[in-house]
Amino acid sequence: MALHLTLDGETHSIEIVQRRPVLRLKVDGRAYEIVGHDAGPTGSAIIGGETVAFARALVSDQRETCFVRLHGRTHEIRLIDPREETGAHDATRDEIHAPMPGAVISVHKAAGEAVARGETIVTIESMKLQTALTAPRDGHVLEVLKGAGEKFDKDELLARLAPEAEG
Amino acid sequence: MTNAPPAPLFRKVLVANRGEIAVRVMRTLREMSIDSLAIHHRVEARSAHVRFADEAREVHGETPVVAHLDADQIIAVARACGADAIHPGYGFLSENAGFARKAKAAGLVFIGPDADTIDLMGDKISARDFAAAHGVPVAPSVQAKGDIEAFISEAGGIGFPLLIKAAAGGGGKGMSIVRDASELRERARLASGEALRYFGDGRIYAETYVERPRHIEVQVLGDGAGNAIHLHERECSVQRRFQKIIEEAPAAPLPDRVRADICAAAVRLAAASRYRNAGTVEFILGADGRFFFLEMNTRLQVEHPVTEMICGLDLVRAQIEIAAGRALPFTQANIPQRGHAIECRICAEDPDNNFTPATGSIRLLRAPAGPHIRFENALDEGQKVTADFDPMLAKLVVWGENRGQAIERMAAALGELTLLGLRTNIDYLSRILRTQAFRAGAIHTGFVTEQAGALAPAPPDRAARDHALILAALGQRNFRESIEIVEDPYASMGGWRN
Repeated sequence: MALHLTLDGETHSIEIVQRRPVLRLKVDGRAYEIVGHDAGPTGSAIIGGETVAFARALVSDQRETCFVRLHGRTHEIRLIDPREETGAHDATRDEIHAPMPGAVISVHKAAGEAVARGETIVTIESMKLQTALTAPRDGHVLEVLKGAGEKFDKDELLARLAPEAEG
Repeated sequence: MTNAPPAPLFRKVLVANRGEIAVRVMRTLREMSIDSLAIHHRVEARSAHVRFADEAREVHGETPVVAHLDADQIIAVARACGADAIHPGYGFLSENAGFARKAKAAGLVFIGPDADTIDLMGDKISARDFAAAHGVPVAPSVQAKGDIEAFISEAGGIGFPLLIKAAAGGGGKGMSIVRDASELRERARLASGEALRYFGDGRIYAETYVERPRHIEVQVLGDGAGNAIHLHERECSVQRRFQKIIEEAPAAPLPDRVRADICAAAVRLAAASRYRNAGTVEFILGADGRFFFLEMNTRLQVEHPVTEMICGLDLVRAQIEIAAGRALPFTQANIPQRGHAIECRICAEDPDNNFTPATGSIRLLRAPAGPHIRFENALDEGQKVTADFDPMLAKLVVWGENRGQAIERMAAALGELTLLGLRTNIDYLSRILRTQAFRAGAIHTGFVTEQAGALAPAPPDRAARDHALILAALGQRNFRESIEIVEDPYASMGGWRN
């Protein structure tokens, strides 16, 4: 089984080729031998014969993300949940997330109301800038999770559309 | 014979701030044997500034910011705890004349200028008029007073390019750059119409438009009796969204005569206003060497450490001494200056996405170290970064024998700084330092927009990318368990690795 990860918008895969006596992984088909890997947030490992010092932090608030710092540069890598990969449910069509932290200015649609694609569901304010968050498709509002004046963080779920009927 | 230490200048100082600046002020208080009193909202009870202080009290408010802006409550805390002075830091109540007045009325020393000086400099119009009256250059401007023909003739007299603005305006509405006389009439008509539509007030004015302006500011100290000195200039031209991100002292290349004129103008303003304590006079500088007064900040600046590093002094100590009635610590002739200092503001934001503020938690923090490096912060691993406060997380400040050495030292320190768990501008700052334009000192307030192409991140090379991907995978417990990492060859060598 391969692990899928995205970096800078591109998806990559890592396969386990061999576990012992030494660990061998394939990244997008390229093989690497890994020796002496530290399990902690900072450390070093010998990867393909090269000694690599790293710092690393795993964040799993919204989605599992790993920040890896190497040679003075940070890489933000998203680990793809195998459940997302099955494609059983396309959440992006149903959920409206905050593009940045801010506060709700006004709510234009209530639960149960019909919306057309592009119609405003909530207006938010971030950094003194008002933005309309619109319906990604035609449908009905299932719920609006934040009322006027309420604050939210980036990526927080603000509203959800009722799932589309199976067709 | 015994040398008894001198009595402290104050018994206890309430620091009406939080974060890195509160810690920075408290460090100096401790060196001066003065007790520090922190204030904090309930949600920041475990913050670094609270732990650092000798004593801490909760201030109440619907949000932390509301609590930190509650002048009456803060003054009551100061009195109840036996403080004899208040240091306001920057931001919050630091330029609030009402707070300074109330503190004084309550018998507390406000470590800053007089309330009247804060009022004078806090109002843009009165500050500008005061500056002009004391021979400090202000951008020539003309206001339209009904007669459009008179306006056009007077505005043309200022010279081009001109910036036309709505008198009641803001946010760029009704604003227009006029490059020569032939455009002036039509642009004035359009701007007035737009101003009327947006603000219900068609009054417009024209002022000199400075192209590719540099932001130069001068650190001043005054004793409140009309004596003032400057501690050289700083350059803060690298900005994003009108916010400074890199500051340096002295300015990137600047002709000696311009430097002398700007510093002299700042001292004139400070002396004329009988300025007391530390302040900063900000100017805009054009490519032709002309400079104009922007505003005076009547407090310690975020970027004050670059001045400290080239002068080898502690500005907070100077503030406390002046507030205690001591004479200015230097005369203009003996102010030291050596080398070059640079500060980078480390912010929780996404520079590759229009500098959108980032939120999250700090999971891993490793500060850079070495000679002439200051990492000004009040950060803890595990600390949440929310939209409640400013996105500035910390400041990294370095000194070098010259600008080139300071740039190299900053580049190395930024590389060493590890702050993981949310998006930051650290790598973006590194990219700025690598640009030819920055190294050449070819900076102006439009720098990051002009250099957007050079500042975009290059894709990592394949080896670095593969290494990062492998380390991310190995950082995940499930993946590690699936490969039984205990087969690591060291595991069989016994317990020597702990």
